[in-house]
Amino acid sequence: MAGRAMWKGYIHFGDTSVPVKLHTAIKEERIQFHLLHKRDHVRLRQQMVCAYEKKPTPTEAQVKAFEVEEGKYIIVDPEELEQAAPESSRTIEVHEFVEIDQIDPIFFDRAYYLEPDASSREYNALVGALKEMEVEAVCTWTMRKRSYLGALQASGKILRLNTLRYADEVIPVKVLELQEVHKIPLSEKELKIGCDLVNQLAAPFQPEKFEDEHQKELRHLIEKKARGEKVVVARPKRLKPTTSDKLLEALEASLKKVA
Amino acid sequence: MSRKIVEISGKRLALSNLEKDLYPSYGFTKAHILEYYRRIAQFILPHLRDRALTLKRYPEGVEKEPFFEKRCPSHRPPWVKTAEIRLDDGEPMTMCLVDDLETLMWVANLASLELHVPLAKAASRETPDSVVFDLDPGDGANIIDCARVALILRDLFSQLRLSSYVKTSGKKGLHLYVPLNRKETTFEDTKTFAKAVAEIMQKNYPELVTARMAKKQRETKVFIDWSQNDSAKTMICVYSLRGGEKPVVSFPLAWEELEESVGQNDPEKLQVMYSEAVSKAEKNGDLFQDVIVKKQKLPHL
Amino acid sequence: MRKSRSDRTPSRSPSVRGDEISPHGIWSGTISFSLVAIPVQLVKAVETGRVSFRMLHSEDYSPLARKMFCPSGEKIVTPEETIRGYEIEPDKYIEITEEELESVSPERSRTIEIVEFIDMKEVDSIYYDHPYYLVPLKGGEKSYRLLVEVMQRTNKAGLAKFVLGEREYFVAVKSRDGALALFTLHYSKEILPHEDILPKEEKVEAEHKSRMKKSIKKMMADFNPEKYADERREKIMELIKKKTKEKAPVEAPEVEVEEGESPADLVAALEKSMRKVKKNR
Repeated sequence: MAGRAMWKGYIHFGDTSVPVKLHTAIKEERIQFHLLHKRDHVRLRQQMVCAYEKKPTPTEAQVKAFEVEEGKYIIVDPEELEQAAPESSRTIEVHEFVEIDQIDPIFFDRAYYLEPDASSREYNALVGALKEMEVEAVCTWTMRKRSYLGALQASGKILRLNTLRYADEVIPVKVLELQEVHKIPLSEKELKIGCDLVNQLAAPFQPEKFEDEHQKELRHLIEKKARGEKVVVARPKRLKPTTSDKLLEALEASLKKVA
Repeated sequence: MSRKIVEISGKRLALSNLEKDLYPSYGFTKAHILEYYRRIAQFILPHLRDRALTLKRYPEGVEKEPFFEKRCPSHRPPWVKTAEIRLDDGEPMTMCLVDDLETLMWVANLASLELHVPLAKAASRETPDSVVFDLDPGDGANIIDCARVALILRDLFSQLRLSSYVKTSGKKGLHLYVPLNRKETTFEDTKTFAKAVAEIMQKNYPELVTARMAKKQRETKVFIDWSQNDSAKTMICVYSLRGGEKPVVSFPLAWEELEESVGQNDPEKLQVMYSEAVSKAEKNGDLFQDVIVKKQKLPHL
Repeated sequence: MRKSRSDRTPSRSPSVRGDEISPHGIWSGTISFSLVAIPVQLVKAVETGRVSFRMLHSEDYSPLARKMFCPSGEKIVTPEETIRGYEIEPDKYIEITEEELESVSPERSRTIEIVEFIDMKEVDSIYYDHPYYLVPLKGGEKSYRLLVEVMQRTNKAGLAKFVLGEREYFVAVKSRDGALALFTLHYSKEILPHEDILPKEEKVEAEHKSRMKKSIKKMMADFNPEKYADERREKIMELIKKKTKEKAPVEAPEVEVEEGESPADLVAALEKSMRKVKKNR
């Protein structure tokens, strides 16, 4: 279930205004571990420690600061930060519409469901329009004292809001310095077999096929240890890299294997 | 607010707030400060030249909060020379270069009592021109203890055939310089050397010296701060005023003066006021001149 | 040589700093498709735009660091003295070692094995979690380039699962500007159903919808993320700039960092000189 609404507002563009409620769309479940003291298995607490005294510093003696240069700080009061919070508003302001697939997936952050608030009329019209035109809306809004950028999408009968990362948060590929790699020549044969191989292994996207097996096995391990059974430790294996002189050979063997 | 337009070497400069008392308990005004820097200019300028200046401004006087200004103020006159310094984060910053009297006067007029410079010139930011030992007395120690440490260091360096020079910090400590002036030197070299020296001093004079920064360890001892040998750090320039209670100057001393003050156990002798600074410099010349010209090589690096 | 400040990476840029991910590589292993194995390193692809603050001690402005403590003791517990535990009943824990974690799925903890290739357009954006890049390690450059190139040409992305620490990740690997980008995806189990919030079946008037379409058409554009900036972050940076101008920053006291040994020759020369100095004094 999508659960309780976490925020309420209006989608706005032109003379359209659609009242909506926001629900989280993702719920992650993970096995939770704790850090313990080796000696007596007591659960440890995290505390802030002063670099000098090596002793915990009580919360009231902690101040928030921004480092302007090495070792020099500007102290910022909580009230000042409060003032920097964007003005709260109830509007999801649409700035433009873009064709679906134009947004590089690297920008997608987190998805939320939108539920119609009060009437569904405008809501349904917008779902229909977005679907028929195959577009999504780029919009901004303020929620919990933060400003968000997002993509408003139609999915089935509902609207979704996917938060987007800001452009300056994405690290460009050129930082990776792959220029030398790009200069390595590839033969047409290698490329052809490579493409054939990819096409041989092509399948529709069926996410349900993938499950977190590791968590299940981890639970088994914990149960085993809890019963006092011995656990055998297996070493992870590293595969031998396919070097450039063996690449064609490996590709040909692969193609034979899948064909 | 008083304003006075002066002309230096054909360049016009507006001086403001001349009667503002910047050392209130001493009655030392902005006019006094400009006068001090004008008279000391021929001595201080060679040590400021080509180095990116960090201003420490006291617009409300020494009893109020000063602020550091690395960026050369954008309202600078067009004739102020600047250098583009690329900081660690890659962002270039325009910093002032003080090469002439008019720029020095302009800087002093900003109530920048303290002039801080790096050990390297702006054009060769990774090449320190000297190794520096910042001798800082902990609680319970004083400048005479620093002088004792400085004298041992002088002897140690002379064993290594290195000349060294000393100046007062203008606060509680002393600064000892070993000139290098060789383009091969790196901050890694100078820091390694300074740290090894600090440690050997601590080992041999554990009652007098510490090489550790922690406050507790500094009590009753002289802390040899070797970490100043870093491209990101600056030192108070020799002949600069300090923003203390009185208009005291960071001033070079002859080794004999240091020996004398240790003999007489007179810490007061190691406080050089602005007036004394001008007359001493005019009489003895620049005792720190070698620091920027003498070429020496660090051993075993 | 390390800087003689406390144990941290200084904030390099005044604007942003990433959080949990180290720039040096989060994981290293092999990415494989069929019989081709490419040694790679996983690095971050995004840097969260959070303004990075530091906590200081109000007394002397020493930077504070997060450390683990025993509830009873006043002493810091070093990482070597800690273990990872799973709570099976209140205050009763089972220790799980790093090796045991890896051995749970040994075949997937060092290898990202692409099991099939898909059309990335089929991946609903709701699945996207976090992006990374893969960079080739020594010996894998050519096969890396091949994988980048063939995925580019076929417009396909590889699907795989791999284990990192306590979790197994479902990932898609695709080419992006000549590099391999890896996206962790949500498992379909993690996507919440939305049947309970469906809109009411209200009839949409054709005229109404076409009016809406007209205004959408007027607002069509190419996606240009550069146009949008985080307003809050900008405001905070403005605030800090303003404060920097008004008031000198506070200075943290220097903190000792243990550094490596000084060069032996130098130490020997200094010791010899020191003996002479002491004799003469």
